[in-house]
Amino acid sequence: MMRWDFWRRKQRETDLDDEIAYDLALDAEERMRAGVTRQEADRASRRDFGNVPLLKEGMREMWGWTSLERLAQDLRYGWRTLRQNPLFATMAVLSLALGIGANTAIFSFMDAILLRALPVRRPGELVILNWHTKGPPTVVHGMSGSWYNDPHTGWSSGDYPFPAYELLRASNRALSSMFGFADAGQLNLSVQGQTDLVDAQLVSGNFFSSLGVRPAAGRWISDDDDRSGAPPIVVMSYSYWRRRFAGSADAIGQSIFLNLMPFTIAGVSAPEFFGVNPGGAPDLFIPLHAAPLFAEDQQEDAKQRFLDKNFYWVEIMGRLRPCTSLGQAQTDLAALFQRYVNSTASTEEEKVDLPELVLAGGGSGIDSLRREYSKPLYVLMAMVGLILAIACANIANLLLARAAARRREIAVRLSLGAGRLRVVRQLLTESVLLAFLGGVLGVWVAGLGIRFLTWLLANGRDSFTLHANLSWPVLAFTFALALTTGILFGLVPAIQATRIDIAPALKQIRASAPPSRLRLNKMLAIYQIAISLLLTIAAGLFVRTLSSLHSVELGFDRENVLLFRLNAKQTGYSDQALARFYMDLWARFRTIPGVRDVTLSDFALVSGAGGQTGVTIPGRPHQPGRESETSVLKIGPAFFSTMRIPILLGRELQERDMTGPFKVAVVNEVFAKKYFPHENPTGRHFGFGGGDGKFAEFEIVGVAKAARYDSLKQAIPPVVYIPFSQRVDGVSFELRARGDPLGLVATVRQIVRQVDSRVPASDVNTQARQIDQTINRERIFAQLCSCFAGLALLMSCIGLYGMMAYTVARRTGEIGIRMALGADRRRIASMVLREMIWIGATGLAIGLAVAWGTTRYLESFLFGLKPKDPLAILLATGILAAALVLACYDPAMRASRIDPLTALRHE
Amino acid sequence: MVHNNPGENRIELLQGTLDMLILRTLQWGPQHGHGVGQAIRQSSADLLQIERGSLYPALHRLEARGLITSEWKASDLNRRAKYYRLTAAGKKQLVAEQSKWKLLVRTIARVMRPA
Repeated sequence: MMRWDFWRRKQRETDLDDEIAYDLALDAEERMRAGVTRQEADRASRRDFGNVPLLKEGMREMWGWTSLERLAQDLRYGWRTLRQNPLFATMAVLSLALGIGANTAIFSFMDAILLRALPVRRPGELVILNWHTKGPPTVVHGMSGSWYNDPHTGWSSGDYPFPAYELLRASNRALSSMFGFADAGQLNLSVQGQTDLVDAQLVSGNFFSSLGVRPAAGRWISDDDDRSGAPPIVVMSYSYWRRRFAGSADAIGQSIFLNLMPFTIAGVSAPEFFGVNPGGAPDLFIPLHAAPLFAEDQQEDAKQRFLDKNFYWVEIMGRLRPCTSLGQAQTDLAALFQRYVNSTASTEEEKVDLPELVLAGGGSGIDSLRREYSKPLYVLMAMVGLILAIACANIANLLLARAAARRREIAVRLSLGAGRLRVVRQLLTESVLLAFLGGVLGVWVAGLGIRFLTWLLANGRDSFTLHANLSWPVLAFTFALALTTGILFGLVPAIQATRIDIAPALKQIRASAPPSRLRLNKMLAIYQIAISLLLTIAAGLFVRTLSSLHSVELGFDRENVLLFRLNAKQTGYSDQALARFYMDLWARFRTIPGVRDVTLSDFALVSGAGGQTGVTIPGRPHQPGRESETSVLKIGPAFFSTMRIPILLGRELQERDMTGPFKVAVVNEVFAKKYFPHENPTGRHFGFGGGDGKFAEFEIVGVAKAARYDSLKQAIPPVVYIPFSQRVDGVSFELRARGDPLGLVATVRQIVRQVDSRVPASDVNTQARQIDQTINRERIFAQLCSCFAGLALLMSCIGLYGMMAYTVARRTGEIGIRMALGADRRRIASMVLREMIWIGATGLAIGLAVAWGTTRYLESFLFGLKPKDPLAILLATGILAAALVLACYDPAMRASRIDPLTALRHE
Repeated sequence: MVHNNPGENRIELLQGTLDMLILRTLQWGPQHGHGVGQAIRQSSADLLQIERGSLYPALHRLEARGLITSEWKASDLNRRAKYYRLTAAGKKQLVAEQSKWKLLVRTIARVMRPA
């Protein structure tokens, strides 16, 4: 459009030129016919014709400028002005690029996690069925899935008993379709002798048809496949199909084994489809009714899953009927579920605090990721927003200073009759142009930022499936951001710049600038300092949190330990054979050169996993409830010596204890103090579960020093360590190496393959990294926030420096007079410094006040310190004050070095 | 805008009459800018000389109002020349202007009639 306009204008110009030339030529012709020489005729014609440029100008005026042409004109002019002052332009564009880039990167994660709709048909109609209670619901006898406990809102979960799913599905009137799904965990998949571990999702027969997605190959799971006794089939994810079968069409119909059970591949899902959880990407989809196939006792498992009305395991989503609101559906479904859950509560105790159904929008899938990341993302978004605000203030400040330098130019334009609005628009175009340049560069910065953030979030986890990218909504966000910032930082300086007294400005008298402008300058600087302090305090709090997490006493030695998991149960070993298999490997691993000690446990320490059970002690009344629970870890031989946990009393568990006839256990200090205060616990007995101690099967043979169990942040619970041979599936091996533990991985894999090639080693990690991964969020916050605070600090210092340097330059004359009247250099420097100290102190005071009121929002992110941690606040204030002094030193010195003679001549 | 024929009998063109003169000139057929100027001069017996500084803006203004259209043609001088032509709307306008003009002349003549 604009190009076309330009082209038309050009065409008009040449047409006019031709028209005039033709007129002149005809005129000269006539004169020559009258007998005048060519030269004279030409001259006379031109003279008679009149002022050609004036004529053209008049014509152009008449054509008028379209607003687009005017914009292009402004842009060209703005571009030229920017090029004239490359330092200013570079600084402005760079700081904007960083600000906009950081915002875009964080927003792309918000988009991926919080906003993006599932790639299914009409995602807006989808709803998720959750339930909610105040305390732990006693009506739930068993559960396979997850629930969330929030201290403020209570307990919630999305898992339902299968009979409830069937009831809701059959009798609701609000949903056009309802489908169920459940996590199947990791399965051992083997095809043609090759094994690996895959993530699988159990889905109801109408899962795919309700979501309205199409298979990339083969067919979907249907209702016929999802009933007990149906030939077992699976649907593969597109990425797994590509990875494992190279996208071959022959894969359809092939037989595979999942935990040794035969399945047939029925189809492949569409490339963009990942299920209903944006945080997970299952490799396989399996019918719900195939779940018992993986159980040890299939009949028992099927009975529990499909008949037990108090066993919660199926997650439910549905599609709203057209013209049905979420509220109507909620009323309908909640009433149905209430009746159901009432009928399943058998005691009075269970009837208290029954689960209540809560319907939520499901357009962007189930919300496990949102739960984990939404609050951190909002905090990060607020931070990058503040950084962008600092960048804007910075550029506004620079523009104000530049407007002062351009006073004469603007005065000339105004005096020649340019409208004020026109000049403001011209200046605004310049700042929006700056913002767009910053935005373009910002998109590049955002690309880097997204890669960096993904890397930070994944932190060495292979299974990290969250992929943020620069999608169209994200780019639209960036565009809007650039436009807004451009207007934001440009408008006030532009209006200020055109509010000038034309006459003195034209005469280029160094008339003192209107005081309002200086006040604005200072206010911007104060505001920048306050925001920087806020960010620095946040960074200080997060860094202190990280360091207090790092200094948590583990109670064991985390260095040089290799971790990996094996699950031989999935390949058919059980009971004695399973224990023998693991012990055989244990013995083999011990012979690897470079390995000091080897042990195993049902899960690794501080990995977030744990198990609790009630404990009974003979002769003590059993107290039901959480109070009497203890944490359990099933361990292999030499666990304490491998992990370097000191044994305080008695002995540790050895090889013979694993399969021996007597059941023995080691307890930790906390357990000993809780259950056997002032007694020696060795030789005493305890049992698991309720009852009166009849099953007090375990004898305590040792007491170990307290060591962290599942988490760094929680207090060490009472723990009993029992031999792993007591009912175990998969185990985690721990190898203490002499050197780099990861150097052992190849040998370990080779040994496992020799013993049984069908059992893959998974979750290979080091103990140190495993622990770091559990504090990933704190680590990311500390690192990102430090970066952000550094950035903010730098920008504010640049801003302050620029403002002060400008102030000093503007006051050169005044300073000259002061010096001529006898003020010495020290006094001049202190005069300038006083002003800066005033600005700095005001900024810091405001920042402190705001921080005082807002740090409590960060409380849930902190560990080991209060939100008003004095050390963090003091440190941040100190750092900022030091940076400000640095920024001010040069302008103050420059002021004191002004030569009074030059300064006065300057006037 | 004031138009005169320097040195000789000066006639000042009334506001808005240039447009009418142009339309009138073009009644005889398409003509280029120079030709329009010449025709007005000749038919006024050299009493009216239209300055190009007024003529061309007037032509372009009339064209923008849709009263005349233009067309580029190769002319006798082997140059590109822009020929203006009356449109239907222009013809209508000319009729209207003419009657208005006649009314104006009659009215003014009546006022100025020697007593």
